[in-house]
Amino acid sequence: MAVKELEVISEKAPERLHIEMPRRAFLLKLGFLLNGVAATMVSVPLLGYLLSAFRNDGGFTSWITLGSLNSFPENQTRMAKFRNPYTRPWDGQTADIPCWVRRMEGGNFQIFAINCTHLGCPVRWFQESHLFMCPCHGGAFYEDGSHASGPPPRGLYEYKCKIEDGQLWIHGGQLPTLNQPA
Amino acid sequence: MMARLQIGLAASVGLAITLLAGCSARLPGQPTEAERWRAPNEITDFNQLYTQNCAGCHGAGGRLGAARSLNDPLYLAFVTDDALRQAISKGRTGTNMPAFSEQAGGHLTDQQIELIVNGMRAHWSKSDDFKGVELPRYSVDASSTATNNDIATKALQAGAASRGGATYKTYCSSCHGSNGDGGSAGSIVEPNFLNLVSDQGLRTTVVVGRADIGKPDWRGNVPGHPMSAQEINDVVAWLAAHRKTTTVAVSKVEHSACLNMK
Amino acid sequence: MIERLRKIAIWIDDRVYVSKIFAATAGHHVPRTSGSWFYVFGSGTLLCFMVQIVTGICLALVYVPSSGQAYTSLEYLNYQQQFGWFLRAMHNWGSNFMVAIMLAHLAQVFLFGAFKYPREMTWISGVVLLLCTLGMAFTGQVLRFDQDAYWGLGIGAAMAGRVPVMGPAIVHMMLGGPIIAGETLSRFFTLHVFVIPGSILAIVSLHLRLVLTKGINEYPVPGKLVKKETYTEEYEAEIKQSGVPFFPKAISKDLIFSGLVLMGIVFCAAYFGPAGPHGIPDPTQINTAPKPDFFFLWLYGVLSLMPDYMETVVMLTAPFIVIGILFAVPFISNTGEKSPRRRPVAVLSVLFIFIVLGAFNYLGTYAPWSPKMEAWTSAATPTNYLEGRSPLERQGALVFHNKQCINCHSIGGEGGLRGPVLDSVATRLTGDQLVRQVIQGSGNMPAYGKNLSPPEVAALVAFMSTLHKPTEAPARDSTRSAQAASEIKQPNTTAEMANAKR
Repeated sequence: MAVKELEVISEKAPERLHIEMPRRAFLLKLGFLLNGVAATMVSVPLLGYLLSAFRNDGGFTSWITLGSLNSFPENQTRMAKFRNPYTRPWDGQTADIPCWVRRMEGGNFQIFAINCTHLGCPVRWFQESHLFMCPCHGGAFYEDGSHASGPPPRGLYEYKCKIEDGQLWIHGGQLPTLNQPA
Repeated sequence: MMARLQIGLAASVGLAITLLAGCSARLPGQPTEAERWRAPNEITDFNQLYTQNCAGCHGAGGRLGAARSLNDPLYLAFVTDDALRQAISKGRTGTNMPAFSEQAGGHLTDQQIELIVNGMRAHWSKSDDFKGVELPRYSVDASSTATNNDIATKALQAGAASRGGATYKTYCSSCHGSNGDGGSAGSIVEPNFLNLVSDQGLRTTVVVGRADIGKPDWRGNVPGHPMSAQEINDVVAWLAAHRKTTTVAVSKVEHSACLNMK
Repeated sequence: MIERLRKIAIWIDDRVYVSKIFAATAGHHVPRTSGSWFYVFGSGTLLCFMVQIVTGICLALVYVPSSGQAYTSLEYLNYQQQFGWFLRAMHNWGSNFMVAIMLAHLAQVFLFGAFKYPREMTWISGVVLLLCTLGMAFTGQVLRFDQDAYWGLGIGAAMAGRVPVMGPAIVHMMLGGPIIAGETLSRFFTLHVFVIPGSILAIVSLHLRLVLTKGINEYPVPGKLVKKETYTEEYEAEIKQSGVPFFPKAISKDLIFSGLVLMGIVFCAAYFGPAGPHGIPDPTQINTAPKPDFFFLWLYGVLSLMPDYMETVVMLTAPFIVIGILFAVPFISNTGEKSPRRRPVAVLSVLFIFIVLGAFNYLGTYAPWSPKMEAWTSAATPTNYLEGRSPLERQGALVFHNKQCINCHSIGGEGGLRGPVLDSVATRLTGDQLVRQVIQGSGNMPAYGKNLSPPEVAALVAFMSTLHKPTEAPARDSTRSAQAASEIKQPNTTAEMANAKR
């Protein structure tokens, strides 16, 4: 019963307001307007805060050293680790990023991401068969990172690298994905 | 109504107390220390290390695998700790024994390799069985560091393929055929086979045999007539001479650079 | 004394309307036929949700949502905190029960035609609740911040990263930064603890309110059709004529079921214990094969078995199509027959979907598509495959391990199932064909040409040529006579073939 009465009142009320009390109508509009302005004032910092993750990608990557060239024997592919340049104090081990460093005969280098190009699982290097294999769906890559078999749509992600002062440098900083390779 | 409620209440309280008391005992679901995850390089249990890293080729329990049986007291008496350590950590180049140490690109720490060497000795060694038995030397190379440097020793080390043929006929032909290319045990002069085993591997097999699959050791080829050190060297040299080595040309790049500099 | 308490109770009731609210909700009249065992799943799901809230709040007292310390706090819960392991187990099993009972509820509602006029919104809000629950399941799996969680996030990011143009931005938004790290966990913690549970509470209220206003579905009678013009009147007449108050007349079966569910959760928690955590979430620890929890095993299976060329398209469109169909159900079939006895297509669809999901989930439990990465050093060659073999063939068995063939190919039940089982490969391929397959590979097998020396190829092929039952003849080259073919099978020849290919 009570509910029905309330409905009747609320249906009639606005009309009465409009006809009989233009001042009330004005105040209502003013109320909406004020709240709209206030909402904008709140939403700007709020959205800015939330969307800060969409930073320009140039801001995340930089050159990081992987240590002396001598720590990578010739004709071998070894895992190297670096601390991600963009990191938070509470990241813990998650900011220690692994990568595969291949040093060829003579000294040319290639650095591959650990993430399989299929679904990002960690590929493992097998020096006996000279293959990278993925534990998830059996993707395989040759030692030069090219696609060997299985579902991956492309070869391994390859980081940019350089040699300076007898050290190997990697240009890294973000998780490589299909549309944003390392 | 009230009475029943009271009974129910009392029963629930009783149940709760029993449960609480029961929980001080171990429930099957409670995680045990053994279930706690450990990083692979923190594993220190010999059985686990052996099963994960060696059993594939050397067989479950160290026997009846495709590769050398390790659960073999004679082999363990024959081989040195250092040779085991070297083989595990660096592998045997040119054979199917891969390198396991972290420095060589494997996954085992030096400590774990030590644990495996000691574990094999502790579990499978029976050194008492070989007291008083004069075992042939494990390696011909090891003796070269010795001080006696005379010509006779060198000849002994080298072995002579020419003498080896006759030695082979005496000791091996009954199973491997008169020329080594057949017989009940299969060919041992097949070049592809020889290209996959090292001289040391051949020497080890000649000396200790494969007890797990009924292959005799150096004493048992001709019963009552063990092979001499010279004969062992000779027959290994004769076998090695059947190997046809293939060399693969490698192109050399002389400067260091990164291929992906973009 | 009692009189006094009674007065206090009446006073409170007068001020806060407890009895009126109770009468309008729990006391509302429902069709007599709805007091059925088939109608217990909704309240069962709600009970699970309450278990999750209580255990979740307790776990949050100890759990640290920081990527550096979450794992430590999980281990603390398991090994140090009094009853910590039990609450983790309750929360884990509560979620399993919740998903399972919710699926039963969904199937029952669908089969009984309860989504039809005028209960479309009840169905739609239920679908939203289903999605929220799956969202809770996924985010909850992430909060168990171990290796599975880390690489599970990696898989999520890799899928999102496939979106054209927007991909990288979506990945950054999902991870809260360029890599899976501190902000990623905080994000999922916020979703799991604030955003999604809050939404569930709100939508459950709507869902229950709709049950009150539009009424619970009557037990369907074959031949009694839903017509828009008459349904509401008929329903109200039925309630008036034979309706019973939900409390205390129709609630008993719900109560019994809920009690059993709660006991089931407690039993499973005590007996099976908590899940994980499986390994520290350190990306440099790559000796892991990430696997999702059981609610997503079917998805894992679908993604693994789908042909590569359609993967991206399916990944990016299928979720929307499936959700779209779920939302559209009440509009596709808005009126008419409700009884499952007269709706064969509905019954068969439900059976089909459950069989498919069950099959994929079953496959997901042992993941035949994943290579076994440790097989090459741990899976021993069955001894009967080595008995009486020549030295070269035994070397071939070693090559089979050393080159990781066994990671994908099983022999004698040992090894991976990613590639064909090779127990009788010699009956399918001749020596020459084996050489070709090993050297050149094929779509799902890498070409080993560069990575095997001629002696290794010879040994490997010699070994594989022995892989057939003694009673079955090995394969022979049909272009040659049977006798010539048996001569060809000499390892020498295959090695030369390998040489020639190089």
